[in-house]
Amino acid sequence: MPMTGDDHDDRALDVFFEAARHSPPAPTDALLARVMADAASMQAAAESPMPRRTAMPRLRDLVGGWPAMAGLATAALAGLWIGTGLPARVTGVDDASYLVDITPEMAFDLAAGED
Amino acid sequence: MPFDAIEDLPDEALLARFADGEQAAARVLTHRLTPRVMAHAWRLLGNRAEAEDVAQEAMLRLWKQAHAWREGEAKVTTWLYRVVANLCIDRQRRARGGTVTLDTIPEPADGRASVVQTMHERARADALQAALNALPARQREAVVLRHIEGLSNIYIAEIMDISVEAVESLTSRGKRALATALRQRKEELGYADDW
Repeated sequence: MPMTGDDHDDRALDVFFEAARHSPPAPTDALLARVMADAASMQAAAESPMPRRTAMPRLRDLVGGWPAMAGLATAALAGLWIGTGLPARVTGVDDASYLVDITPEMAFDLAAGED
Repeated sequence: MPFDAIEDLPDEALLARFADGEQAAARVLTHRLTPRVMAHAWRLLGNRAEAEDVAQEAMLRLWKQAHAWREGEAKVTTWLYRVVANLCIDRQRRARGGTVTLDTIPEPADGRASVVQTMHERARADALQAALNALPARQREAVVLRHIEGLSNIYIAEIMDISVEAVESLTSRGKRALATALRQRKEELGYADDW
């Protein structure tokens, strides 16, 4: 089979591609050193611990600073006072018994199916 | 692990070890990947200084990506070829055109060939690089990956995120343009025998 123009070009180009493969542009030692330095700094950054913060500054920032912290403390104290200062029994035990006693008859009638 | 043993590990495993802080993994990856990254950047840009900057930037991005890298998702080299191509395109957009001057021609990595043979090869490689520089970016990338890096069309399609048919079209058009450009210079550059 006769060689076409494209075949001829391909063969001619192969010589050039081969030449390019044989003379790859090698990295300089300086470039390799820079790449290694970047790698070392990235590893060092990944290993260094994050700066530690105690719980109080984080809570203060979370609620919105000192004014919000003062409001939060006031609300907490008010809640404590209400919880401990009010009378122990708002409703008496007798009232509670009355409320319980008033319904059993009706419940019995319904259960028995009587008028 | 001894240095010889770690050198046999695939890129992805080495990157995981790098993320765990293993310095030997960084050393092996640097010496394995930087030459490939550098060579690819130089062939896409035609300028050594710029190619070195791109190579360093691409490797830095790899280091940054190491902790988020998930094995099995992509090959490190595929990812690097994409990063290099994108960095080169960004640079070419900022400064149109790359020219090959004497100080941008890379030193050959292999010193075993004879002086005359080396000169012939250098002349051909330089002429090819000058012709490559004149190609549209995507054609140049496809031709370099296929005919100099020696990758398969399927792999190139994955790197360039296009179909295999599109890769074949790009390389075919690129080669025709290269043949035309090199044929015009065959007398001037003294490689008339090649055509």
